[in-house]
Amino acid sequence: MSAVRTERYVEESRRGIADPVLRRALSGLQERFGRGTAEAYRRLPEGPGLRQTAHAIREKAIANLDLLLERLAARIRANGGEVFFAATGEEAVSYCAGIARRRGVKLAVKGKSMVTEEIGLNSVLAAQGVEVVETDLGEYIIQLAGESPSHIIAPAIHKTRNEVADLFARKLGIPYTTDPPRLTQAARRALREKFLAADMGISGVNLACAETGHISTVSNEGNIRMATTLPPVHVAFMGLERIVARLDEYEIILRLLCRGASVQDIGTYVSLIGGPRRPGESDGPEEFHLVVVDNGRSRLLADPRFREMLCCIRCAACLNVCPVYGRIGGHAYGFAYSGPVGAVVTPLLTGVQRGRDLCRGETLCGACKDACSMDIDLPRMLLELRAILAAGDATWGVKPEGGLERNVWRIWAGLVSHPGLYERLLRAGAVLQGLLPRGVAGWIRRLPPPLSGWTQSRDFPPLAKAPFRSRWARRRREVGRG
Amino acid sequence: MTVKKSVTLFVPCLVDAFRPEAAEAVVTVFERLGIAVEYPPGQTCCGQPAFNAGYREEARRAARHFLRLFADCETIVAPSGSCVAMVRHHVPTLFEHEPRWRELARRTAARTFEFTEYLVDVLGAEDLGASFAARVTYHDSCHLLRGLRVQEQPRRLLRRVKGLEFVEMKNADCCCGFGGAFSVKYPDISSALVADKVAWIQQSGAEAVVGGDLGCLLNIEGALRRKELPLRVLHIAQVLAGGCPPAGGPGP
Amino acid sequence: MADERKERFFLDSLRRALGPPPQASRPMEDLFPRKPSAEDQRLLGAVSGRSEREREELLRRLRAAAAPLHLQIEAVVDLAAARATVLRLVAEKSPEWGGEKQLVAWSHKLIESLDLAEPLARQGIPLWMTAPIDPGLAPEAAAEERARQRARIAASFIGITTADFCLAETATVVLRSRPGEPRSVALLPSIHIALVRRGQILADLKELFALLRWDERYRGAGVSNCLSLISGPSKTADIEATMVHGAHGPREMFLLILPD
Ligand code: SF4
Repeated sequence: MSAVRTERYVEESRRGIADPVLRRALSGLQERFGRGTAEAYRRLPEGPGLRQTAHAIREKAIANLDLLLERLAARIRANGGEVFFAATGEEAVSYCAGIARRRGVKLAVKGKSMVTEEIGLNSVLAAQGVEVVETDLGEYIIQLAGESPSHIIAPAIHKTRNEVADLFARKLGIPYTTDPPRLTQAARRALREKFLAADMGISGVNLACAETGHISTVSNEGNIRMATTLPPVHVAFMGLERIVARLDEYEIILRLLCRGASVQDIGTYVSLIGGPRRPGESDGPEEFHLVVVDNGRSRLLADPRFREMLCCIRCAACLNVCPVYGRIGGHAYGFAYSGPVGAVVTPLLTGVQRGRDLCRGETLCGACKDACSMDIDLPRMLLELRAILAAGDATWGVKPEGGLERNVWRIWAGLVSHPGLYERLLRAGAVLQGLLPRGVAGWIRRLPPPLSGWTQSRDFPPLAKAPFRSRWARRRREVGRG
Repeated sequence: MTVKKSVTLFVPCLVDAFRPEAAEAVVTVFERLGIAVEYPPGQTCCGQPAFNAGYREEARRAARHFLRLFADCETIVAPSGSCVAMVRHHVPTLFEHEPRWRELARRTAARTFEFTEYLVDVLGAEDLGASFAARVTYHDSCHLLRGLRVQEQPRRLLRRVKGLEFVEMKNADCCCGFGGAFSVKYPDISSALVADKVAWIQQSGAEAVVGGDLGCLLNIEGALRRKELPLRVLHIAQVLAGGCPPAGGPGP
Repeated sequence: MADERKERFFLDSLRRALGPPPQASRPMEDLFPRKPSAEDQRLLGAVSGRSEREREELLRRLRAAAAPLHLQIEAVVDLAAARATVLRLVAEKSPEWGGEKQLVAWSHKLIESLDLAEPLARQGIPLWMTAPIDPGLAPEAAAEERARQRARIAASFIGITTADFCLAETATVVLRSRPGEPRSVALLPSIHIALVRRGQILADLKELFALLRWDERYRGAGVSNCLSLISGPSKTADIEATMVHGAHGPREMFLLILPD
């Protein structure tokens, strides 16, 4: 498993907020994709309701995962490919490392894959002397910079062209230029060499289809097609949930994936791969391996509250509309997955307790659900996670929240179910607030802890002199008299 | 009008405590339409804050109180999108395993309406004869917009107000960063969100921002007051009541 | 074997997580149907019964979809026109990586019938035709042959292929891998030219998949070991969201459409 830094959500989000370059890039991204996605769903011939159809397809697939995976594996094996089922990230990584050792792999080229980020593949291969090159241009940039991706689809969204120019001048030895076409050309040249020399190609899987027994990859750059065509070995990693039963269902999910991910009708390159090259073919890998990764996913499967999360196809549409992601950026989420999908799936995969700020640090605005290509109810699951954190949950290893917070809510519950008491407190508050420092129009400048967070940047409203309840009573008396 | 209609008013805790004028405005609007208003005493909260924070047992206690109080009401109207979304969508699920309460919760959910939704969708009333001389923009509160799908209704109502010039702000549907306890627990993120919201409101050139959920409005107004900006922040009912004189709202 | 045990363990834990199996109610016929559905029938019917007018309409939609993708479409009247177009491109374009102009093409009847070799030879431009790897070759010899083909493909600035189908809705060219038709011809050269006949244009992915699933002519191979859907030249927007064509795959793509 790659490093988990979910505990640093608050700290890291502060960093993101304070970074004007990141903010500008994110707002540009959200403006282009956020609105565009909704429009793309509306333009679907079936209408935006296709998202609900897709949700049902995914749910059915998840409910029959065992059958689907068996069928997929049988087909791929019949086609001469290998399938390995990895219960943990470590198993998945060491399987791949084993192939690399057996074949004496020196250089591996990689297509963007979130699951390999999740299981920390690169560092293990690197430790055994394999040079692993990320080939998606965005991923390549951040690999050269020694960073981690900050967006599922646009991993280098946080980098400016000037930063890329510096980086390429230093690392690729090209003359300094900030011109995106020239920078792209430089990467194209450098990576072409790598593709042609690579001993292994590594990819993720956007979606597999059980009926036909294929996996598929989608890219605009063509890097994944290079990585899965040129090297003699192709190792593909997929989360165990990335599958549908039939090809017609695959079609629906694929269309939504491309719209959700990048407001396209279809990605430039979609490859459906069912095995290694056939006898007589002059290119394509001679070995094809599919690694199906559990790494905690079967725990989601077992919990009816969170099974829905397995419908996710990592299209990142939810990131592109999330107001919180748009302010704090991807690194704050402390793991491979960021934005709303990360806020739900990361704690479930890496620990709810340590990821509690991810579960709580959203406004529940619901934009993610409307944008989700698979119509996943992310806010519902955030609420479930918060409930787990409050009340504790043995299966997720969470102890009930103790101390001040719990007591505050207990007292609150007592008050709101005793109107007499509630009213008296309201009146007392109206008097006591006189002690607090005021700004304009009687608004309160500073609140004491634990409410001080509010007044960090905002004034707090003063309680009305008379709440509606007493105004109403007065009004009725007057009406009665009149 | 042949059938005398009546509604039962639910005044959520924030409105009651911080902006009773909004609830009074709701009463005024209904009375002008010839609709009788009831207000059962003893109202507190629907349970939403605890529910959103994950404290479900505590939320259930609040919800039980709410359900008991409104058990026999035919039509419940509340000037708050998020509270109605809570009653409509979440309270029934809170009682999933308590059939008796669940039934009551479902029945109540079906009878509870948000104020502008009730006016436009149920009563078919759009022109309320209100007047309000100002340039106004509207903030879509998340739970009103995405929880109840109320987007056009308030705009239609505002466009019929005499003297009111309606302007859309950029990203009207983007969250203001309130989020209940979130605003206190994650003040950096919340502040960043409301700062953008305030900027968009300012860019719109509006003199007043109007909304249908008090949490958001207090958040936005809190940021405006801190910056000592002269914009006014009003619940939509206050505009629709029309009696609200231009200088009558809070603000400098 | 250890891997088999692991696999059983993996699938068992999956089944446990799925809960008590509603075995009786597993929708097998829905998961893996053995007969085409009514919708599949409709799609197959639409493909087989397409009128000339409808084909015209598909071509129009194909053009409309291709334009924003920078996929350049040339409807040519006959083989001679197609040849002229290819020769024009050869003359106009220059090799991206420097060096001499060279071309590579699939050994496919349609491409052979263009008679490109002779006019190119006159200009001193080599045209490599790919060939299947002879299954009788010893492994080392086969590896050598593959390396030789790879080097030629990589050295070519234009790669010419045909396509199995073409999809109007998304301006997609569909290539199924076969011996003698290497995938890299549509990948390594800077310019990819694909040739199709009008009758190979389908409306969309749905029709394509219906054919692959149910039409006897395609069903056997199904998806095969590699089916590529290519919709325009390679592109990226990873540097400050600026669109650049030619990230890794071809920078330019041309689709020549011949009459049936
Ligand atoms: S949650 Fe939905 S929108 Fe977000 S990545 Fe997953 S499928 Fe895409």
